[in-house]
Amino acid sequence: MNNRDLIKPDSNFTKEVIGLGGESLKKCFQCSTCSVVCTLSPDDKPFPRKEMLWAQWGLKDRLLGDPDIWLCHQCNDCTVHCPRDAGPGNVLAALRNYSFGHYANPAFLGKAFRNPKYLPLLLLFPVVLFLILLGATGNLTIPEGEIVFEHFMPHIILDPVFLVLTGLIFVIVAMSLSRFWRDMKKSTGSPKSSITDIISGSAISKLIEFLQHKKFYECGSSRIRMLSHMAIFYGCMSFALVTASVFIGTYTVGLELPMAQYHPLKIIANLGAIAVITGCLLIIVRRLSAGKATGNSSYLDWNLVILILIVTSLGILTEVLRLADLATAAYVLYFIHLVLVFYGIAYFPYSKLAHILYRSLAILYADSNNMGGKKTLSPKPRKIRDSEIEI
Amino acid sequence: MGNVESINSPNSILVVGGGISGITAAVEAAEVGYEVILLEKSPYLGGRVARMNQYFPKLCAPYCGLEINFRRIKTNPRIKVFTLAEIENISGKEGDYDVTVKLTPRMVNDNCTACGKCVEVCPVERLNDLNYGMDKTKAIYAPNPLSFPTNYVIDTEVCTGAECSKCVSVCPYEAIDLSMTTESVHMKVGSVVMATGWKPYDATKLDNLGYGKYPNVITNVMMERMAATDGPTQGKIVRPSDGKEVKSIAFVQCAGSRDVNHLPYCSAVCCLGSLKQVTYIQEKNPDAKVFLFYIDIRATGYLEDFYRKVQGYENLSLIKGKVAKIKEDPQTKDLTVEAEDVAQGKKVSEPVEMVVLATGLVPSIADIKIAADITYDDYGFIASQPPGIYAAGCSKRPADVSNSVMDATGAALKAIQSVVAGGQNG
Repeated sequence: MNNRDLIKPDSNFTKEVIGLGGESLKKCFQCSTCSVVCTLSPDDKPFPRKEMLWAQWGLKDRLLGDPDIWLCHQCNDCTVHCPRDAGPGNVLAALRNYSFGHYANPAFLGKAFRNPKYLPLLLLFPVVLFLILLGATGNLTIPEGEIVFEHFMPHIILDPVFLVLTGLIFVIVAMSLSRFWRDMKKSTGSPKSSITDIISGSAISKLIEFLQHKKFYECGSSRIRMLSHMAIFYGCMSFALVTASVFIGTYTVGLELPMAQYHPLKIIANLGAIAVITGCLLIIVRRLSAGKATGNSSYLDWNLVILILIVTSLGILTEVLRLADLATAAYVLYFIHLVLVFYGIAYFPYSKLAHILYRSLAILYADSNNMGGKKTLSPKPRKIRDSEIEI
Repeated sequence: MGNVESINSPNSILVVGGGISGITAAVEAAEVGYEVILLEKSPYLGGRVARMNQYFPKLCAPYCGLEINFRRIKTNPRIKVFTLAEIENISGKEGDYDVTVKLTPRMVNDNCTACGKCVEVCPVERLNDLNYGMDKTKAIYAPNPLSFPTNYVIDTEVCTGAECSKCVSVCPYEAIDLSMTTESVHMKVGSVVMATGWKPYDATKLDNLGYGKYPNVITNVMMERMAATDGPTQGKIVRPSDGKEVKSIAFVQCAGSRDVNHLPYCSAVCCLGSLKQVTYIQEKNPDAKVFLFYIDIRATGYLEDFYRKVQGYENLSLIKGKVAKIKEDPQTKDLTVEAEDVAQGKKVSEPVEMVVLATGLVPSIADIKIAADITYDDYGFIASQPPGIYAAGCSKRPADVSNSVMDATGAALKAIQSVVAGGQNG
């Protein structure tokens, strides 16, 4: 007994995980069907069986620092095969959702973001901010003449707002990730865990795997789901590319907005939008129709896909209204579009979108510490006594 | 057996099912003086117990216990036995039930001495359902080697009938009568014991475990027949694919049981069933490596002692973790079972030559669902009955032999009370 850790159960944590979509976690009876049917789970210390036990016992520290909850790509094979309907896939998703709010400061924003009740308040902030900015620059009325969004909301005002916001978010995210990193080290006790080790190790190969959605592919139960995710990811990447190019273009070569419809950047952005909207719609249809295999979709899950869908659709719609010369509608929708873009960036650390960072970091951590391995096969089973069972 | 004129005895007790529960209820009621009609769907008595190699609690061969009971039935004039008999309808109330029974023709009468000449000439083969299809019999066959009744029987579904008649001409005792037809018998009885028993869960539904796809994945009931000296392999534990003696074997517990996608309930007997089968391996293939994968070992009461004893068997590895995948090497037909060894937190991928699925118990009555105010639970077990009808044994929940016997004795007493009260219990 001497070298065993004392465990610190936290029943409130269990309740929160239950509330975030892991409602069936107490049904688990540790048969470990889940760990075996999972195509991504490693041979040594496989998931999600151990996570189910930790969640039942409220072992918060172990779970939050557990890279495995991020190695899961949520194909829900575990949930489909679970003999108790305990929904391991849902529990891991709930733990990830919990992590966003847990690691990002200030904590109250995380709590508010998780609660749909506060959605209007969170949206009100950018609305007021933009109204003040418009008022201060005398742009509270609909501009006359040809529709040029620059006349309504000049980039000279917008860019500093978004730059400052992005900078702030960057700091918050960096702090969150460093806490997450520290917890992974503490929880797994891995010897090899400095950032440089990891970057020099497998970062490039993992990046390529990620761009190919290789893990998603291995998690093979739904190709549609992988393709939808790819469409949204590459669509959003095209937005990032176009936004950065336009930003640089306007300040260096004096790029004029709006760009012509045949401008390469315009074409890339429009194609990206089509990909994103298609991806979102496929995800929504699947969530509504595939039953157990999609798992429970929590508020945070819906929040993200609907936000991306609306922001992108509004972008396209604004463009169409501009081309149709419907000034009032175009400016109003543009305003809403901006508010939602601000919402997406400002609350990024608390939203499911942050999975892109947590998951990447966890994959790198697990890989550099040989935690994701499939090579250590067939350990000889031996007789056990109850006292030998580890948790 | 039996006479097929209608029976009118409101003081009699009808026992539906001739397995260990039904036999017990029938004998217990008859031996204290009550008229009993015992119905059995198959051509022989003994039910699932007759198909075991050994059974608890004493691990004796089934005929050890069954023969005593058969003798009690034979020598007791108050028991009328109908085999190949199925309930068509039950109506009425306590003390006054009208029952219609369908009798499938046996095509062989009581002149039969089980000499076996008919089998020699019969040209048609059928899969032997007694051995879960692991071997074949002729269309005319002995129901089982120690069958009661001993009369042979013809499987009318495969027999080519009067145009063949080879068995009829070779039989020295004029025991075969191909002109027998299905009959309906009407009965009036005072009370009913439902001892309809169980059947194994259909293992082909466990699509990740390969039963039906991989020949060397068998079920626990098949293992019983394989281990029995009167079974399809004369008691040798060999691989179905090539008849090779098994050198490594895995038992997969909860194959369907305790699983909301299959049987949400615990089937109660499979843990001890597999531990018992481990002793068959120990005795017959002593060098074989044995792996037993489980969620929990449910050895209740004194059965814990048996569990402790088997635990000490040195070739046995007990692994906590449910098998969720079985793969087959298409060339060698060897199997690989995959599970997590929960105690060590490591996935186990164990190559073995044969796998036994500990498939669970399903109530037989789930198929027939006799009306008569009986209610069934979600899984087809009898949940409640009106006064005058009493469920016994596995018709109401999974149970082992000794619990079924105790239960059936209690049901017999209730049935007697109903007859004595003449409908005054309700």
